[in-house]
Amino acid sequence: MGTFGEYIKSALSSIKNNKGRSFLTMLGIIIGISAVLIVLIIGDGMKATVNSEIDSMGASSISVSLDDTKTDKKFTRSQLKDIEESIDNIYGISPSFTVWGNTSNNRGEAFELYISGESEASETASGVKVLHGRYYNASDVEDGKQVLVISQTFARHIFGYEEVVGETLDVTAYDITKEFTIIGVKEDTPIDIAFAGFGEDIILTASGPYTSLAEAFNFDVDDMFNSFTIYLDSENRNAVLAKTRSVVENITGLRGENAVKISSGSGFDETTNSILDIITSVVAIIAAISLLVGGIGVMNIMTVSVTERTREIGIRKSLGARTSSILTQFLAEASILTFTGGVIGIIFGLTVSFIICRIIDFSFSVNPVLVIVVVAISTGIGLFFGIYPAKRAANLDPIEALRNE
Amino acid sequence: MKKLVEIKDVCKIYNPGENEVRALNHVSLTIGEGEFVAIIGQSGSGKSTLMNMLGCLDTPTSGKYFLHGQDVSHMTDDEQSDVRNREIGFIFQGFNLIPSLTALENVELPLIYRGVGKKERDRLARAALKSVGLAKRMTHKPNEMSGGQQQRVAIARAIAQAPPILLADEPTGNLDTASTKEIITIIKRLYHEGRTVIIITHDPGIAAQAKRIITISDGMIKSDIINPEYKDEI
Ligand SMILES: Nc1ncnc2c1ncn2[C@@H]1O[C@H](COP(=O)(O)OP(=O)(O)OP(=O)(O)O)[C@@H](O)[C@H]1O
Ligand SMILES: [Mg+2]
Repeated sequence: MGTFGEYIKSALSSIKNNKGRSFLTMLGIIIGISAVLIVLIIGDGMKATVNSEIDSMGASSISVSLDDTKTDKKFTRSQLKDIEESIDNIYGISPSFTVWGNTSNNRGEAFELYISGESEASETASGVKVLHGRYYNASDVEDGKQVLVISQTFARHIFGYEEVVGETLDVTAYDITKEFTIIGVKEDTPIDIAFAGFGEDIILTASGPYTSLAEAFNFDVDDMFNSFTIYLDSENRNAVLAKTRSVVENITGLRGENAVKISSGSGFDETTNSILDIITSVVAIIAAISLLVGGIGVMNIMTVSVTERTREIGIRKSLGARTSSILTQFLAEASILTFTGGVIGIIFGLTVSFIICRIIDFSFSVNPVLVIVVVAISTGIGLFFGIYPAKRAANLDPIEALRNE
Repeated sequence: MKKLVEIKDVCKIYNPGENEVRALNHVSLTIGEGEFVAIIGQSGSGKSTLMNMLGCLDTPTSGKYFLHGQDVSHMTDDEQSDVRNREIGFIFQGFNLIPSLTALENVELPLIYRGVGKKERDRLARAALKSVGLAKRMTHKPNEMSGGQQQRVAIARAIAQAPPILLADEPTGNLDTASTKEIITIIKRLYHEGRTVIIITHDPGIAAQAKRIITISDGMIKSDIINPEYKDEI
């Protein structure tokens, strides 16, 4: 196929002989390709940056629940323990239930209580900061100690001051009254403040071992939890997410029933990522349309080129050029134009996206597959949009073509 | 003399129907190897149509055309291309050079389509240009040359890969007297070197230099004679 090189050469010389026109044709492709590339790279950079910011947020959680439309099973206490032991790189897991109760202070003022029963792992939830005393620990949970960690607001409303470690408190719920010992006071979170200040009634917030709260108010720990939370550091999130489902399905015996739902913490990063993906695709589609317009430009120019060179085609055919020779020559011309345009577009697109990423402080990374795909697409456009005019050229009748002035 | 071209009862009809034009009307003709034939006739008599037929640029509406004994009247486009490339060197009235290519590149074209390698191609093309006296114009583009020079490039291109037949359609139609003489001299020399030359002209002065003169009128052969005035000299 030594002649193939000749077709490439004649395609190149025809491009060279029409520099201005060739450049304008390529410009369409250059703009299209670089637009697509810039959009995709900056989209990736935006995602990577947002994700790394989420990852660096420290404490994080994943919540796991059983779909009650698919199964009647609940998590038992021993299953929760097994699950906790089977997943590496986590702070711990904790079920959660809420006791709505009442109490009053020594001046006789009544308050509503919102007490969450959890395991000691809930200490690692983001925003928990013990100011006085301590958080309940594993043995408190194990032994079902009737202890509570209360918020600053709680302490002030009931006792009038914050350092109340060691004080006791009567909690009434579900017609049962039990005495609890306060072992710790934690810093108010926005939620604590919101509960206390919301509406007319003051609601005070506290937390205690789920075992003791269940026991105190007659709940069955083995038949009440269809969800739990995994506490972990953000940087381990992906590794943990990858393992969680199989561990939970194995331990609960729900393999293959699709009954385990896992939601990644607040769902913040998943939602953000899918929003970012949608934005990127929409802009990429717009950019791709400009690429299509570039391709139509190639077709237009090739059609002009064929019309202009009808006589040349006639001459070549009279000298023995086959249909395929002419076809190859014109397709080569179209592909070279778009391939070159593609390469320039890639260089331009990479440069521009690099600069933009620098300026707005996004991480800049290029997927080599993307570059290869983009080059392939631009050459493909040349072939696709070049085929119609090239076929027309190749099928010209030599006599008609020679008569053309 | 071996038969080279044999046309049997060929018709070429344009626009069949009411306004049909019989450009060739039952033409039969045999040309042997190494002949020097002039085809002469009025404008519109069918000369170019005949030449296109002989040159495998066109196929007859009816009748048969044998070239080297091979039936070439009903071939595909690509087969025709191959036959043209192998058997025929064209010289046109309008030169038909590709303006963007140099003289050398123009002459190389049929060799490229023949699949000749680069080195051999270069050698053959240079030799052909030299033989028409254009050794010094190889890298010139057509628009940098006179009409006579352009036609000499076209002749070099026609003979570069040594086809057995040279077909010239009004090769001097666009040239002045001096250039005409030059071109005719080269064509006669090519005949003397053993090529079969078919020259189409409406100029009796040029026809008179050929060995055999065929007169055509209204698509039919009116006379086919050995030129009594033929002088076997260059
Ligand atoms: N493509 C075509 N369609 C219709 N009629 C045609 C076509 N080509 C040629 N003809 C007609 O066929 C006849 C012969 O044309 P041809 O070109 O062979 O003449 P010619 O002898 O070469 O004339 P000239 O000396 O002017 O070149 C003419 O009447 C012409 O009008
Ligand atoms: Mg003519």
